[in-house]
Amino acid sequence: MNAVSHRFRTLRSLSAVSRHSLRLTQVRWSRYSPEYRDPQTDKEYYRKPLAELTEEEKCEQELRKTQLIKAAPAAKTSSVFEDPVISKFINMMMKGGNKVLARSLMTQTLEAVKRKQFEKYHAASAEEQATIERNPYTIFHQALKNCEPVIGLVPILRGGHFYQVPVPLPARRRRFLAMKWMLTECREKKHRRTLMPEKLSHELLEAFHNQGPVIKKKHDMHKMAEANRALAHYRWW
Amino acid sequence: RRGVSFRLQALRVCSGRHPCAVCCPATMLNRVTRLVPRARQLDPGRFLHGGPQGPQGLAVHLDDRVPDETPRAGSRPSEDDPAGAGEQREDRHYRIPLQDLPTVFAHGLPQYQHYVCQVKTFHEACLLVRRPALELLRHLDGTNFAHPAVRYVLYGEKGTGKTLSLCHVIHFCAKRDWLVVHVPDAHLWVKSCRGLLRSAYNRQRFDQPVEASSWLKSFKTANERFLSQIKIQETYMWNKRESTEKGRPLGEVVEQGLTRVKNATDAVGIVLKELKSQSCSGAFRLLVAVDGVNALWGKTTLKREDKSLMAPEELALVHSLRKMVRNDWHGGAVVLALSQTGSLFTPRMAYLPQELLGKEGFDALDPFVPVLVSNYSPEEFERCIQYYLENSWLQHEKAHTEEGKKELLFLSDANPGQLERLCAYL
Repeated sequence: MNAVSHRFRTLRSLSAVSRHSLRLTQVRWSRYSPEYRDPQTDKEYYRKPLAELTEEEKCEQELRKTQLIKAAPAAKTSSVFEDPVISKFINMMMKGGNKVLARSLMTQTLEAVKRKQFEKYHAASAEEQATIERNPYTIFHQALKNCEPVIGLVPILRGGHFYQVPVPLPARRRRFLAMKWMLTECREKKHRRTLMPEKLSHELLEAFHNQGPVIKKKHDMHKMAEANRALAHYRWW
Repeated sequence: RRGVSFRLQALRVCSGRHPCAVCCPATMLNRVTRLVPRARQLDPGRFLHGGPQGPQGLAVHLDDRVPDETPRAGSRPSEDDPAGAGEQREDRHYRIPLQDLPTVFAHGLPQYQHYVCQVKTFHEACLLVRRPALELLRHLDGTNFAHPAVRYVLYGEKGTGKTLSLCHVIHFCAKRDWLVVHVPDAHLWVKSCRGLLRSAYNRQRFDQPVEASSWLKSFKTANERFLSQIKIQETYMWNKRESTEKGRPLGEVVEQGLTRVKNATDAVGIVLKELKSQSCSGAFRLLVAVDGVNALWGKTTLKREDKSLMAPEELALVHSLRKMVRNDWHGGAVVLALSQTGSLFTPRMAYLPQELLGKEGFDALDPFVPVLVSNYSPEEFERCIQYYLENSWLQHEKAHTEEGKKELLFLSDANPGQLERLCAYL
């Protein structure tokens, strides 16, 4: 993975004259200098016997003995049950640094999704039972994938006005938008007395079936991009 | 051994062997098992038909199901007779038939909502048969009803399974047609009670109409058939116009308590007193099962009119329950479970009887048979995981692997409560 791109953002020049000059600026500050490598928390990597390693892997292991490695964040574990998407979602749900609360809400949501699906399973006939998905993790991943927009809108300044130009989104922006819309929908559009696990499990199940307000928001985004199709040539990248 | 003294004058069969009993209660239990003859004729298990309406939280989804009684082959055991026509094996999941749920869980297990949710999700109530419960059942089987009631105290760390062992014992006794007096959580009687009234019977004590009437309702559902058989032995005057004469069935006292909520606490006291005095006659066998019994001798958070804190003995319900738990009656047994979870002003890591009961409670319950309920053994853990896998509760693909199981063992430390919480979201 290109280590440069996620820490630095190219300053997009806004005028046509200096279109090709790219200046690098720090977007998120890090206390680590560039020679620090990311930590490897995968147990399988260390369990491979020496005979099975290829030349590159042996070389890399030698390098890791002497190179500087960043400290692993507290939330990153070598657990077999760890999921980077779920960790990202928990971080986005967190408020005020209260990771304990965010994590417990996430686990309660997964439990709620599971219990609802089990209820449906027991109530369904034998043919329908094969179609009902009971794994909360597949439901979560599929729901977020269904909510990801394919194309997005970016404001571009031309002739003194900002135009909403349709633009293909990178993968991380799409994942971010899906999660953001899901959380905003649950936080703001529901009755204030309902608890987050209840709201979130309901929204996830609806998105899994390609229904619900979050999917509608994705479709609205697509429609606006389709409507502004004529402005597509304002994009230069 | 700190805090666990053990004088068993009730079990006269073991006279003269006290010094070894004091140092090791576990071997004492084994010794008692050998001494008490196990040739007692076992009653054939009869299914109790529950009342027409069960508690709303539990029986809503279960009423229409026909329970499947046949034991399944392979690793999916489901013995439905708690005592079994032979040895009831350890490390097996024993299933309570759904008809019995309204009677066994008439009170709805207020302090263990996770298990209630599990019963609702799986559409079956399964308990893992474990050693502490098995030992208790064997002792209850061999009880000598001429001797004073033996008190068994289930203790252990948080989440080890004391409440469910108690439920297992209750179901066992209910199947054997014992009359079960079950207090699901004594802590609920000493905290957050609204509507305290001065008792009419004794001006120093306080009544709790809400708690008493809800308990009476569940008691009625659980023991419907006994209420018409047992006749009271004294006349009770409720007020100038209402009274219940001698010789009327006990059901009338319960009805009076339910209709006139002000008299509910007194009705509870009368019911307990009558049951205690009549169990000696041998018409029925009485099991007193109280969870969170350390609440009876702890502190309360209830205040009198002048905003000073009340002591538990000033509550009429606690007073009558304390009398019930004494061993001055015979014809049954008393099974108690300690609980730190709902208790007030006790340290979180306390679990031993001495720490939770305090000096007063320990002296009141002394002598008792302590039964330690500990975390899962490796076989029990494996069995529990198998049960979850068979029910497809563990949906995460890594949970089926050896790595996943090792990680679950590490994270939960074989604690049943923790394992249940972990498996809920995996």
